[in-house]
Amino acid sequence: MRRPTFITTLVLALAILAGVFFGTAEASWSDRWAALMRTADAPRSLSLILWEWRLPRVLAVATVGASLALAGVMMQTVLHNPLADPYLMGLSSGASAAAVGAILWLPPWVAATMGVPLIAFLGALLAFSLTLGLSFRRGAIMAPLVVILAGVAVSLMFQSLTAFFLYVGDPRATRSALGWLMGTAAGTGWRDLWLPVAALAIVTLFAGVRAQTLDALLLGDERAMALGVPVRRFRLIVFGAVALLAGLSVATVGIVGFVGLIVPHMARLLAGGRHRALIPLALVLGALVLVVVDLLCRVVLAPEEMPLGVLLAIFAAPPFILILRRVRHAF
Amino acid sequence: MPSDPMVQIEGLNVSLGGRPRVRDFSLTVKRGSFHGLLGPNGAGKTTLLRVLYRARAADAGLVRIAGTPINDWARPDWTRTVGALVQEGGSLQGLTIRDVVEIGLMNLPLSPEDRTARMDEALHLTGLHDMADSEAALLSGGERQRTHIAQILARDPALHILDEPANHLDLCYQILLLDAIRARGSTVIATFHDLTLAARYCDTVTVMHEGRHVATGRPDEVLTRKIMREVFRVDGALEDGVMRITGALR
Repeated sequence: MRRPTFITTLVLALAILAGVFFGTAEASWSDRWAALMRTADAPRSLSLILWEWRLPRVLAVATVGASLALAGVMMQTVLHNPLADPYLMGLSSGASAAAVGAILWLPPWVAATMGVPLIAFLGALLAFSLTLGLSFRRGAIMAPLVVILAGVAVSLMFQSLTAFFLYVGDPRATRSALGWLMGTAAGTGWRDLWLPVAALAIVTLFAGVRAQTLDALLLGDERAMALGVPVRRFRLIVFGAVALLAGLSVATVGIVGFVGLIVPHMARLLAGGRHRALIPLALVLGALVLVVVDLLCRVVLAPEEMPLGVLLAIFAAPPFILILRRVRHAF
Repeated sequence: MPSDPMVQIEGLNVSLGGRPRVRDFSLTVKRGSFHGLLGPNGAGKTTLLRVLYRARAADAGLVRIAGTPINDWARPDWTRTVGALVQEGGSLQGLTIRDVVEIGLMNLPLSPEDRTARMDEALHLTGLHDMADSEAALLSGGERQRTHIAQILARDPALHILDEPANHLDLCYQILLLDAIRARGSTVIATFHDLTLAARYCDTVTVMHEGRHVATGRPDEVLTRKIMREVFRVDGALEDGVMRITGALR
């Protein structure tokens, strides 16, 4: 393991421990440790909080952070665009419109039966399919600019729909819808974990095996084709992988911006552009950022909880400006 | 060395956005020869090369590389056989010069020692060895071109497809690098705007005009006063290996 990845992994392990140890529940350090180790003298309520509430939540945000960072790396590479992020193909807007529509307009039993996360995931897939359909032309290579413009158009359409739902919806219900829009990991349980973890494992394996192909795409479509890369087919597979990661992330914690945009740049500054080194660091860094921000969300205004998306935006601006200063001369 | 041609093109037609770019074009390039594609802007040279390195499909016609239709090549064999220098530039985000050269060696069955030796030789030849760990995204146009040529030199393919290899290069590197490519003895098919440079390096040249084949032969046979007037719209001809131009035609 390379040095930046090794150090970041150690810090991530500490952050996960902190995420499990710190929260609004008052307890002594010995009780916290006993609860984590599940010793016989551990307070039962604290064990429950740590094992059934905090740990799955921390692991869920770590998975989402890693997923969004990996998706961001792949999108920036295959679209040759430093501003590309996992939501570029309208995934977040589609998920928002579907979730807000379900919360505000559908009979409560629909959301109760299907669950808002599944409805959001389906909305994300619908937006993704529309973007893909608009970008697709037989025999063409799905030019990055066409995909980006199609994504912008689809995003705008679903954003307008979300705004319309909120404007005409019941004011009492809009607070719940807005809370979902700003992202939160509250209430995430073990049952919510396996699907995002499985998807992350599969896509990480794919990206690892195809690291050289991703490297070749950094040279441009034509140069990659000249090196034997089937650019169109590979781009389609990457879009599918990104849709899976981002769609499941949105379904798990709602809309969490910036991680998929900023973390790939931070990782690139530390590890360089070669994907063999970049992907592991981006995964760990993405997980670390979201675990730390989620912890802050819980403790800054305790006992109230801040939305994940709001705090992330506040923390994301300064590094983004720094990165912009660093890379602006390169584009 | 097998005696069959390295490149065979028969009745090729390619259109872009409904506009024909290459029309009923045929050409044969011998193994080991340095072949130039010449013509004014819009003649179809780059489009033809894009078909050769499989970035674009033809509407009609047949292209064979070393006797095999280009679409029948398995990817690993293709990567080992064909190398292309293209005009398009990627983002090169986070890559060093050494990275760019090494990426070109993907899919080649090389030992780590061979890989390093090939990269070092290519970086020395292109004058980039001392700056090999510099960020590729920050390079000047000439340095970028040298980086991509270093990648081709390190790959050392049997067929070099070079789109404007002299672009952005100063005179010294034009000569140094084209000498290095020529010294490999591989088959080269390259486009040139500088006709004197083309005459210096090409065993044979083909002149294209509006997507059509005009003439093929030795540079001194092809770059005649008549073709210079009709195709390039200048008064001039190749004399003693130097293109002498007296003026442009309106």
